[in-house]
Amino acid sequence: MHQFRYSNSEREMEVYGYDSVVKSHCRMCHGGCGVIVFVKDGKVAKIAGDPDCPIAHGTLCTKGLASAQLAYHPDRLTYPVKRVGPKASGRWERISWDEALDTIAERILAYKEKYGPESVVFGYGTGRENEAVIYRIANLLGSPNVLTAGHFCYGPRISTGIITCGTNPIADYENFPKCIMMWGNNVTISNPDEYKGEPFSVALDHGAKLIVVDPRLTRPAARANVWLQLRPGTDAALALGMLNVIVNEELYDKEFVEKYIHGWEPFVKRVNEHPLDKVEEITWVPKEKIREAARLFATTKPAAIQWGVAIEQQNNCADNDRLLMFLMGLTGNIDAPGGQVLNRTPNIVNVGQFGAHGMLPKDQFAKRLGGERFRLASRFAIIQPKCVWDAILEEKPYPVKMLFFISSNPVITRANAKEVYRALEKVEFMAVADFFLTPTAELADIVLPAATWLEMDYVGDFWKRHGYILPRRKVIQVGECHSDHEMLNDLAHRIGQGQYWWDNFEKALDYILHPMGITWNDFKKMNYIRGEVKYYKYKEGGFSTPTRKFELYSTTLEKMGYDPLPQYREPPESPVSTPELYKEYPYILITGARPPGFFHTENRQVPRLRELHRDPIVEIHPDGAAKEGIKEGDWVIIESRRGRVRQRAKIALGRDPRIVAAQHAWWFPENKDPGHGWDESNINILTDNALEGCDPAMGASNIRTLLCRIYPEKKHPMKKKNRMSDYRD
Amino acid sequence: MNRYALIIEEFACWGCKACEVACKQEYNPVDATNGIKYLSVWGDGPKLMNGKLDFMWRVNVCKHCEEPPCAQACPVEAIMKREDGIVILDYEKCTGCQLCIDECPYHAISFDEDRKTVAKCNLCHHRVDKGLYPACADNICLAHCIYFGDPAEIEKKILEKRKIRGGWGDIIPKAIKISRR
Repeated sequence: MHQFRYSNSEREMEVYGYDSVVKSHCRMCHGGCGVIVFVKDGKVAKIAGDPDCPIAHGTLCTKGLASAQLAYHPDRLTYPVKRVGPKASGRWERISWDEALDTIAERILAYKEKYGPESVVFGYGTGRENEAVIYRIANLLGSPNVLTAGHFCYGPRISTGIITCGTNPIADYENFPKCIMMWGNNVTISNPDEYKGEPFSVALDHGAKLIVVDPRLTRPAARANVWLQLRPGTDAALALGMLNVIVNEELYDKEFVEKYIHGWEPFVKRVNEHPLDKVEEITWVPKEKIREAARLFATTKPAAIQWGVAIEQQNNCADNDRLLMFLMGLTGNIDAPGGQVLNRTPNIVNVGQFGAHGMLPKDQFAKRLGGERFRLASRFAIIQPKCVWDAILEEKPYPVKMLFFISSNPVITRANAKEVYRALEKVEFMAVADFFLTPTAELADIVLPAATWLEMDYVGDFWKRHGYILPRRKVIQVGECHSDHEMLNDLAHRIGQGQYWWDNFEKALDYILHPMGITWNDFKKMNYIRGEVKYYKYKEGGFSTPTRKFELYSTTLEKMGYDPLPQYREPPESPVSTPELYKEYPYILITGARPPGFFHTENRQVPRLRELHRDPIVEIHPDGAAKEGIKEGDWVIIESRRGRVRQRAKIALGRDPRIVAAQHAWWFPENKDPGHGWDESNINILTDNALEGCDPAMGASNIRTLLCRIYPEKKHPMKKKNRMSDYRD
Repeated sequence: MNRYALIIEEFACWGCKACEVACKQEYNPVDATNGIKYLSVWGDGPKLMNGKLDFMWRVNVCKHCEEPPCAQACPVEAIMKREDGIVILDYEKCTGCQLCIDECPYHAISFDEDRKTVAKCNLCHHRVDKGLYPACADNICLAHCIYFGDPAEIEKKILEKRKIRGGWGDIIPKAIKISRR
């Protein structure tokens, strides 16, 4: 009889006759999962999870499993190209790496000379772990402008974490929380930075109680002990209500409050301005349920909050994050095993040091776009996208002449997509590094072929706060593709930064690792390195904040001129804030629920992933569908004050009839028109980017909650697009 | 004699669809743009189930029944149950008459237009016979809810999990006995 063993690579090698096997670290999303890559005849033959990986324990998602189809995709860009027709004409010509990088270098230096280095804006999206190299080249150039998703994704958790308790607190599934509160998030489908679905799922199988805060009935919500079905965008009010219960019923950790908290009295006063009657009215959640959830969370020890990006893509971004941290702190779960740990990363050159933020001259820092308005974001080197579009379109406060986007598709992912498109059409010079000619790349002057995770060496999870680093080992070479790190290292030499860079990027990896006394060659023989594991570190030296306390009352925000205490603000468009508009646009639109397989705009050309979801889906309650004459599977128009798009209707209970939920990040690579259907189903055609509607401290665009109308397409059909259906269900 | 079964505890499934793609990776070359699915995950709801608003993920895949009605329906004996429990469709013998499709109570057999035969999960017998777990059951699942092995052992494991969760979980039917009518 055979002995069955999970992930049995030796047997797999024998049976399938693979030539070699490489352990690596996946980067189809925010990364984290250890993988085993089997190679035959020099090509990736199979990808499996690595059971030795401390993050996902050998489990793997659809994206990781389908990586080879991305790497070997026939449409992939495998050499540098320059545009030879007008923008979005789709006319490209192959060029050499030398010509591509020399052209880009020449432009950077010319704009620096004529308009100042601030006129050159670098950008990345959710990144390919390239943030540190991109900041390094920008800071050394003297440009304070790196355009990232940081204003409304993860950046807020880092920024508010640092000002509240020194770092971003991470749910400690390793020590099995007994209660988990999943807030605006579904870690079993998506990957909120440090987190994977597997340890969450295992914690539930160990008997953890579950509270889910979500306007939609997800599977976790269906499995929850308490489901808080809130009105979209009212998270801050709900959290204040729960804190009200915890304070007034004295369910908080008294020792923690007495010894380690700054600002208790003003905080209590603020919380008491939010009695449950008022919170129920704001949030639509019955007060008994709020009380039940608050009691369950506060009295079950240890407890953790599974959080993510949804609460950050709102006008209450920074305060939402802070309020959830207050829930962690007041209940004594901060830095507690099974609670929310302030991890120590291994002793390496961290992202901030590598990013050379200290090298940006003070007078250049002062020129950071939007820096005077979004002061918390600016402190953490984050800028608001609209400030860049304005600088291109109106040349205010100064002109931006060049964009260099590396793993970013802002035409699809940033608020008010039509304005983004106009800005990219107008900008004088744009370079892009990506896997494919995306709708954004089609507006570029030069596009560089980027390497996937299978094609690079790197210190994986170098930027994360879960306490691990893992080696990503190069498995294959595809065409002339280079990693973002290699191409920027090369470019840096061509713009006179050579002394701060390396002959090849492996030496940069040695530099990252050198404080530990090891080199990349040593590290790549290891499975991973973990930082020191220690709990309750604050009991010795306090928290790494100005007061050394856990700051409920933020001295940093106070100095910056913000309300030091968190508050609830109505979404810029809502039945409450804009009742007249609500009559015309009678549904609350929520956007961005993640389907498995895609990572924002990525993977819609990967057959194994696209066949999981052929079309963009908008969910509507049966009552709304009946009222609007919408049937299951109909193409419908979703329309806001800013524009309209088409998606297919899924009719389902499990949401308030006043809500519809649309998917984000859709474009259609199979549409060979150079626009690739960028404006057909892209929900950011509908979202707003007015600075007044953004979070005042972080500049987060409010893209998750707005008002819309919805109706069958056949009433008002959109112009027919040339759509191919290569995919079967 | 070994007894093999593939049992999925749907209560625990999160709908991540990794099993679907793992299955595809096993059976389709990397450059294939499509191809039939042996296994598929679909969302059931949200809707009222037993008077409660619920949302479940369901996994459609051959259950390798004790008395498989598909085998009884096949006029050319292309489907047979092995002694170890695996129900195998012989693609060489299948004529594509599709009589088996309607007989399957789990909608786990489909028609492959390219090959002009029916298609279903053969429980990766080419792997199992060499001591490897079926592709979908090889520790891919983040919920750890795909079980392969002796059905009695699996049942024990699932009941144990159910106990730790405080009574939450699937009640696993005894070995699935389905016969024709």
